[in-house]
Amino acid sequence: MDSSKKNWMSRIGIVVIAALMVEAISVVQYHRLRKILDEEMGVRTQVIMSTLTHQIRHSLERTEATMRENLWDVKQSMAHPDSVFPAMIRLIDDNPNVLGGCLAFSPYYYPSKGRLFEPYSSRNEDGTIEASQIAGPDHDYTQNEEYLWVVEHRCPSWTDPYKYGPDSLSLATYSYPILGSDGRVVAVCGLDIDLSWLGDTLNARQPYPSSFGLLLTEEGDLVAGPMESRTPRADVQQVLDIVNGNLPASANPRISIHKSRLDEDPYWQLIQVYRTDETFAQVRRLRRQQMLLILLGLAILAFMINSYARNEKKLRLASEERARMSGELEVGHRIQQEMLPKNFPSFVYGTLDPAREVGGDLFDFIMRDGKIFFCIGDVSGKGVPAAMLMSMVHSMFRMLSRRVESPSAILYSINEELSSGNDSNMFVTFFVGCLDLYSGVLKFANAGHDKPFVLSDEIALLPTKANLPLGVFPQTRFEEQTLTLEPGTTLLLYTDGLTETKNLKRQQFGRSGVQEVLRSCLAEGKVSPVQLVSALCDAADSFEGEAPQSDDLTLLVVRFAPENLLREQLTLNNDKAEVSRLSEFVKEYLGKLPIEKKVAAGLRLALEESVVNVICYAYPAGESGTVQIFADSNYEEVRFTIIDSGFPFDPTTVLEADTTLDAQSRPIGGLGILLTRKLVDSISYTRQEGKNVLSLTKSIL
Amino acid sequence: MITTIQETDTQLIAVLSGELDTAAVPETEKALQPLLDSKGKDVIIDCTELEYISSSGLRVLLSILKQAKSVGSRVVLKNVNEVIKDVLELTGFVSIFEFE
Repeated sequence: MDSSKKNWMSRIGIVVIAALMVEAISVVQYHRLRKILDEEMGVRTQVIMSTLTHQIRHSLERTEATMRENLWDVKQSMAHPDSVFPAMIRLIDDNPNVLGGCLAFSPYYYPSKGRLFEPYSSRNEDGTIEASQIAGPDHDYTQNEEYLWVVEHRCPSWTDPYKYGPDSLSLATYSYPILGSDGRVVAVCGLDIDLSWLGDTLNARQPYPSSFGLLLTEEGDLVAGPMESRTPRADVQQVLDIVNGNLPASANPRISIHKSRLDEDPYWQLIQVYRTDETFAQVRRLRRQQMLLILLGLAILAFMINSYARNEKKLRLASEERARMSGELEVGHRIQQEMLPKNFPSFVYGTLDPAREVGGDLFDFIMRDGKIFFCIGDVSGKGVPAAMLMSMVHSMFRMLSRRVESPSAILYSINEELSSGNDSNMFVTFFVGCLDLYSGVLKFANAGHDKPFVLSDEIALLPTKANLPLGVFPQTRFEEQTLTLEPGTTLLLYTDGLTETKNLKRQQFGRSGVQEVLRSCLAEGKVSPVQLVSALCDAADSFEGEAPQSDDLTLLVVRFAPENLLREQLTLNNDKAEVSRLSEFVKEYLGKLPIEKKVAAGLRLALEESVVNVICYAYPAGESGTVQIFADSNYEEVRFTIIDSGFPFDPTTVLEADTTLDAQSRPIGGLGILLTRKLVDSISYTRQEGKNVLSLTKSIL
Repeated sequence: MITTIQETDTQLIAVLSGELDTAAVPETEKALQPLLDSKGKDVIIDCTELEYISSSGLRVLLSILKQAKSVGSRVVLKNVNEVIKDVLELTGFVSIFEFE
C-alpha cells in the first residue's frame, strides 16, 4: 500500500514539474512575443506616419504651387484695387483645398482705400466663391505676427494651425510676400487651408478600437486628433501631458506612445497611441489557449504515465507469475521423474521423455513374489492436468500392485476411482502385466493402450483385447489374458509418442519404423532391455530431426530371461529324517547365491519349517507321500516353491503362536508358521490340480 | 549334531555343537535326557558351537526349561550366536530363558 502511494505521488510530481517547466517557457515566450509585437507596432506606426507626412506635405506643396502659379495674375490685378477681387476668386478656385485667400496690402498702398486694405475670397457652403474687403479697425492685419514676420524677412511662411470660425475648423495659412519695384514688401498674399481632414485621416484606419493618432505643432499644441465621440478628451490630454513632459512616461503604463516628426517646415509632430491591453490581447488569448492545451496535454500525459505504470506493473506481475509457474512446472517435472523407477534389474528398462515440462505418460514396475508387475499408460492431453491425473494413477498402481495379484483387478480398481467424478472427461490408456519371472507366465489386461510388441525369434504384437480406457465408465470389466512366454522373449511397451514421432515433413515414425529398428536389433543380437530402449530412442530422435517433440515418449522393455535364473529342485518323502537332505540341499543352493549368512539362515529355517509341516501333517498318518521343493533365484530374490498332494491346507490362514506367554503356558507347537512368516518377504498359497502349492519369496539384495 | 553333557556339584552343562534341524531333534532329545532330571542343579546349555536351530529344536529347549522350572532350577543359554539369537527373539524365547 505504502509503495503504491509513493508511486502515485512520484507520478503526480512528474506531472507538476512538467507543468511548471511548460509555464516558465510560456511566460518567457509571452514577454518575447510582446516585445516583438511592440517593435512591430513601432514599425507600423512609422509607416502610417510617413504616409501621413507625405499627404500633409503634398497638401502643403499644392498650396505653395497654387500660390506660385497665380502670383503673376495677382500681381497684374494689383494695377487697380477693384481687379484684385476677381484675382483672389481665381486664386482659390484653382485649388479645392484652399478655403480662402487674402491679399493684405501695406498701409496706404492704394491711397484711395485708406490705411488698411485686404481683399479676401472664401468658399460658401454651396461651393460658390465670393470676395470682400475684410480689413478694418477690428481686424488690423498690420498687428499680425505672421504678416510682420513675412514683411520683415521677405520670404514665404506657414503659420501654425489655428482654430477658426463657428465650426472650429483647423486652419493653417501660407503667407507669401509680394515685392515692389524697390524690393520692399508691398503686399502679403495668404492662402488658408483646412487641416480638419488630418484628424480624420489620422484616426480613420486605426488598427484597434481604442488606439488613436495625434498631430501636434512643433511646440506640442494639438493640431488634429480623434473625434471626441471616439476618444475621451481626458485620454488625449493625458497623452499631450506625457509628450510635453508635464507627466512622467510611467503615468499610464497601459498605453504605448510612438512619436514622429515632419522633417521640414512645418516641423509638426505625429503621435500614435496604443492601449497595451488591446494590442497584446491576442497574445494573451494565445497564451491562455496555449495554457489550456498544455494542461490538457499534461492531463493526457498523467493518464498515460499512470496507465503505463499500471501496465508495467501488470507485465511485471505476469512475468513473475510466469517465472513462478515455470519453477512449479520444473518441480512438477522433478516430482514426476522421481516417481519413476531409477534402479533397473538386468531384465527391465524404461524411459520417459516428456514433450513439455510435465507429461501425461507413465511407466512403472514393482517386483514381489518372483513376479514383476509392470504398467505403461498415457493420459489424454498433456501438461499439468494430464500429469496430475497420471500421478494419481501411478500412486494407485503402486498401492494395488503390492497387494493385488490380478492385472484386471488392478485396472478395475483404478477405473472405479478415476471414473467417479471425472468431470473433465480425461481418460487414460493403460496396460498392466504381471510376469512370473520363473515360469514365464504372463498375465495381462489392457485398457485401450497400444498393443505391446513381443520379440522372440520374430516380431509380433501381443494379442491384447481392446478394452475401454480407464476413466470412461465405472463398473468396466477388463478382460485378463494369460500367455506363457518362451525363455528369451522380450516385451516392448510404448506410448504413441514413439509411433507418432513426426519429422519436419509431418510424416510419422509409425509401427513400421519401430519394427524396422527391432528387426535390426534382433539381427545384431542387441536384445537386452537397455540396448532396445536406446536403439529406439536414437531412431526416433534421428527421425524427428529438427522437428519439435510433439508428444511424451515412453518406453518399457521387460525380458523373460531364465538364463539369469538359478533353479534347483528336490523331492522328499514324508519323513522327518529327510530334513537332513533338505538341509544339505538348501545350504548348497544358497551357497551359490550372493547372500548374507544371517539371511541364508533365515531362509533355510523358513523352508524347513514349511517342509516339516507338510511332512508331518499333509498326509494321513502312516501313509507315504512326497513333497517337491523348487528353489528359484534371479540373484535378487529367492523363491522356494513347496508342492505336495496331501490334504488341502493353507498355512497362510493359520493363527500365529502367542510369543508373549511365559515358559509354563507356552504350547509346544505353532512356532513353525510364525517363523516362516517372519523370515520371508511373502508367502502365497494356491491349490492347483489337486496339489498344495506354497511359495516363499525373499529379496536377497 | 554333537551333544555332550558334563555334571558338576551345582550344574548340569550341555554342550551343543552343529545344526539342530528337525532331523537332528530325535537324537538330540535323547542325548539331553539327563537334563530333564536336574535335581535342582542349574542347567547350562553351551551354544558356542550351535550353528542352527529349527522350531523343533526350540521345542526341545522349551521342554527342558519347563521341567527345570518345575523343580526350581535355572536354565541358562550360553554364548548364543547372532543367527540363533534372532530366532529366539522372533519366537519370544528371549523372555523366558536366561542368557550368559
